Amino acid sequence: MIGAVDVDALIELAWAAPLAALTVTIAWALVVYGAGRAADANRDGRRLIATLRLAVAAAGVVLFTAAIVVGLIVMTSKG
Amino acid sequence: MDSEIIILVIVVATALVFDFTNGFHDAANAVATSISTRALAPKTAVGLSAVLNFAGAFISLEVAATVASGIVEAKLITTTVIFAGLIGAILWNVLTWYFGLPSSSSHALIGGVVGAAFAAGGTDAVLGQGLLEKVMVPAVVAPIVAFLAAALCILVTYRIVGRLRPGLVNSGYRVGQIASASLLSLSHGTNDAQKTMGVITLALVAHGTLDGADAEPPTWVIVSAAAAIALGTYSGGWRIIRTLGTRIYKMDPAQGFAAQGGGAAVLLTASHLGFPLSTTHSITGAVLGAGAARRLSAVRWGLAGNIAIAWILTLPAAALVGAATYGISRIFGTGVVGPLLISLSLLMLMAALFGKRVRRGPAMTTAPADV
Repeated sequence: MIGAVDVDALIELAWAAPLAALTVTIAWALVVYGAGRAADANRDGRRLIATLRLAVAAAGVVLFTAAIVVGLIVMTSKG
Repeated sequence: MDSEIIILVIVVATALVFDFTNGFHDAANAVATSISTRALAPKTAVGLSAVLNFAGAFISLEVAATVASGIVEAKLITTTVIFAGLIGAILWNVLTWYFGLPSSSSHALIGGVVGAAFAAGGTDAVLGQGLLEKVMVPAVVAPIVAFLAAALCILVTYRIVGRLRPGLVNSGYRVGQIASASLLSLSHGTNDAQKTMGVITLALVAHGTLDGADAEPPTWVIVSAAAAIALGTYSGGWRIIRTLGTRIYKMDPAQGFAAQGGGAAVLLTASHLGFPLSTTHSITGAVLGAGAARRLSAVRWGLAGNIAIAWILTLPAAALVGAATYGISRIFGTGVVGPLLISLSLLMLMAALFGKRVRRGPAMTTAPADV
């Protein structure tokens, strides 16, 4: 009966799913971190640092959006 | 109108009632954490989820044309078996809603059909390998993988944003939760509305209205299934929302995001690998993981145990009701009397149950103050 279970898919799921979850998490954490620290730097008048931190936040937005798009592709490609 | 047409109408109506309870029951999966962390107002959350469930039903039309395919002998699937399976699933959904326990509507449906098929054809009707592969293994894998993924996510999150001002972090994650809840709702619509479409399509094939080979669901089936699940979602299963959102532990927005984002990532990865998991199992596992990783004692493990017991009981309990429904229906022969009497009894039972709840407060249409 155990032979009925796709063990390869199970093993792949065991590492791919946490990796996907981690990608989404890191992406949004970069957005929150970048935006928060940029606001602090801006308040202190450190424009260049603020800009760099905003770039980190923007990278997070791009990564997060990409993850959402991949999710949508997975949903639509089921058919 | 001959009796077969009347039975078909009863099966279609019962399938739509199941779809409604599916949305009603599973709305919690997508929105509970968003509501509890105040990322979204309760009515806004279920409204958004309802719209996305409706839209999701149209995104992928991979119809589960043979619900429980590979789990029960296809040749035993008749309209009466489908009807009995649906009754088993509906009763289990209503019962678990009453006790505020998140459980898988899909497993309830499979359980109901398995029980009815067993009553119709004996042990040969149930395919053990399919049951193991498509129900039991995913039921164990989903919560474990989601638990670990969400735990990892929240630890990494706290590592990255832990030194920022809490107000800023909470605001940021509330915004993120709107996106993650939306993705979950859309994913739920693509998965679960399909099952009802599949059930109705199967009934139409069994009746002979549709040709069995490559039967596609008619437009009215797609629209009605999408509308039923959206209406159910909009009604809001507040009891389960409260369980997932606040009763397991009091979560912060970052934990809510980790649970939703982690759970959605696990679900979609599994779907991509052709290993479909239960939304309920995945999200509940993720909620527990996001709480336990922060502080093990914060989680109400007794409640988590009750949920696990409900999961274990889902298949046999729904199967028992499915088998009993089939048996009772057959007492009245193969005609319309059995399904009609059972449908009327179910309607009266549900009206009494909901009436009791509504008399005690606006449980159906208003979110409780503590959600």
